[in-house]
Amino acid sequence: MEFLLGITGKDFVLTVSDTAAIRSIVVFKNNDDKSLDLNKHVVMLYSGNPGDTTHFAEYIQRNVKLYEIKNGIELTPKATATFTRRELATSLRSRKPYNVNLLIAGYDVTTSLPHLYWIDYLGTNATLPYAAHGYGAYYTLSILDKYHRPDISLDEAKAIVKKCIEELKTRFLFNLSGFKVKVTDKDGIREIEI
Amino acid sequence: MARRYDARTTIFSPEGRLYQVEYAMEAISHAGTALGILASDGIVIAAEKKVTSKLLEQTTTSEKIYLLNDNVIGGVAGITADANILIYYARQVAQQYLYTYDEDIPVEQLVQKLCDLKQGYTQYGGLRPFGVSFIYAGYDSHHGFQLYRSDPSGNYGGWKATCIGANNASAQSLLKQDYKDDITLKEAKELAVKVLSKTMDSTTLSSEKLEFATVSRNDENKIAYHLYKPSEIDALLKEHNLGGQETEQ
Amino acid sequence: MSITQYNGGTILAMAGKNCVVIGSDKRLGVQNLTVSTEFQKIFPVTEKCYIGLPGLASDVQTLSELFRLKVNMYKLREEREIEPLTLANMISSTLYGRRFGPYFCEPIVAGLDKNNKPHIYGMDLIGCLNFPDDFTVAGCAEEALFGMCESLWEPDLEPDDLFETASQALLSAADRNSMVGWGAVIHTITPDRVITRTLKTRMVIYYISYI
Repeated sequence: MEFLLGITGKDFVLTVSDTAAIRSIVVFKNNDDKSLDLNKHVVMLYSGNPGDTTHFAEYIQRNVKLYEIKNGIELTPKATATFTRRELATSLRSRKPYNVNLLIAGYDVTTSLPHLYWIDYLGTNATLPYAAHGYGAYYTLSILDKYHRPDISLDEAKAIVKKCIEELKTRFLFNLSGFKVKVTDKDGIREIEI
Repeated sequence: MARRYDARTTIFSPEGRLYQVEYAMEAISHAGTALGILASDGIVIAAEKKVTSKLLEQTTTSEKIYLLNDNVIGGVAGITADANILIYYARQVAQQYLYTYDEDIPVEQLVQKLCDLKQGYTQYGGLRPFGVSFIYAGYDSHHGFQLYRSDPSGNYGGWKATCIGANNASAQSLLKQDYKDDITLKEAKELAVKVLSKTMDSTTLSSEKLEFATVSRNDENKIAYHLYKPSEIDALLKEHNLGGQETEQ
Repeated sequence: MSITQYNGGTILAMAGKNCVVIGSDKRLGVQNLTVSTEFQKIFPVTEKCYIGLPGLASDVQTLSELFRLKVNMYKLREEREIEPLTLANMISSTLYGRRFGPYFCEPIVAGLDKNNKPHIYGMDLIGCLNFPDDFTVAGCAEEALFGMCESLWEPDLEPDDLFETASQALLSAADRNSMVGWGAVIHTITPDRVITRTLKTRMVIYYISYI
């Protein structure tokens, strides 16, 4: 039932994750954060098996940090996504694979371009202008197909996100209690209200 | 006295020296010279090939300058057999990085990886250090064009112009004299051949005794390495009046 | 449904007179849901040799990166480009190395050797090589492609005609398979150059060109 969304614009990436922590038919929590800042310019959203998600996300976060400490430079969003994908692809053929789906959003300071990567638990990595994970994808991708352009402004992106959330509220059988929205651009990652 | 400390694995002498490492460096100072110059728009590496016998077949490819990765080339001075091991290792490290991150390895990380291996051979039992010094010329998006030098101890450093191998002290002082901070690649190439012409044993320079390579931006503004063909080296020498028989005897 | 069909996608290669073509569709899906319409399945290896990797997208990416590593190391050590037959055998033995836990991918190799003789190779997911001299197909629209190629292909086609033949075969096959499509890429490999063309398949009215 989890929902992750990412939209790239001219010089930013907007990411949205729902905040419901659900198990079976019970909502445990409605302010769950499903994102993790990997470094100053890369954020990762995750969904999947609750134990796997946090463990895997933290494992990636610490490896990205280690690289930074060891080498004195930041990993680019592409390098982060490639590394993360490989970890999942390797895990797929291990005794107990991680069941985690990810969106990696980042701003590449070396090229001044925003990037969004869609990665699933099999280790498939797709570079996309907008992407979604979970049942929510079936409701929102068509909205994004219609309204998204590569050069949209932050305000336009926010307006599209509002449309997506509106659609989920009317058509999705489950009430996703809230959404956490983050913007990643040249200044770093910040949370915003929508 | 020294024999007590250099017969077995590398251990400190009472004066705090590592004889094996020093001997390795001594071995290198007999090898053909290799020098590198960092310019504002690229890097040049030049190296002296020692022709041991007229009967020896000339290798078709380079023996002093090697491609380590698409963005890094290396100049070698020392025992070629040792160098081959390290070159293979460097290439593997670079490709492993490309495999993991889908990006070319930053130059310093490649240098550091190689030096970690070199250092290990000065410490662990039953091994002798590698008898090789390297000059690395490379580019990455983090720090632009970079020139490094490493020695058998595993020490490395970034340089504007540097030299390894025979006569490296005199070559280094020549480089120090003539290096300018805003030197262009064209001027650096000239400086490289001039320094080599003065420090090499042989009186005449030619493509038979020289190897030459650059890393710079090509016409499409992409980073590209260029290993000079013999004809290109001869043309370069001619341009600076250093080639052929007419030079001083 | 087989795991090789989970992400969709299909590839074909054809041999002509001193030329080869290799082409694929551009879709990446998760069963019925289309995720990307710009997914790369064909990878250049040398200036005259390409590999096509249809199958499970995760393995497609892992293998393309692994083969790039191996080919780069080969090139550095040998100081020459790898030949198509050597490449096909390298891929085959890599796949057989995972005989009892295979990569879910059936690679296709297409290229010209140093004498500009055309080569196309196909193999199954554990590396059993095929040496056809006409065409080879793999992926989700394999059956349809076999039929199209069987009826359209003829020997000794020139580059332009070979491209046209491969395009018609690929487009017709892609248009009748819901897992395949959203545009196609065809590389025509000739002795002097490679011509890369992108084609439209049957798709929605506004083609969202940049997904």
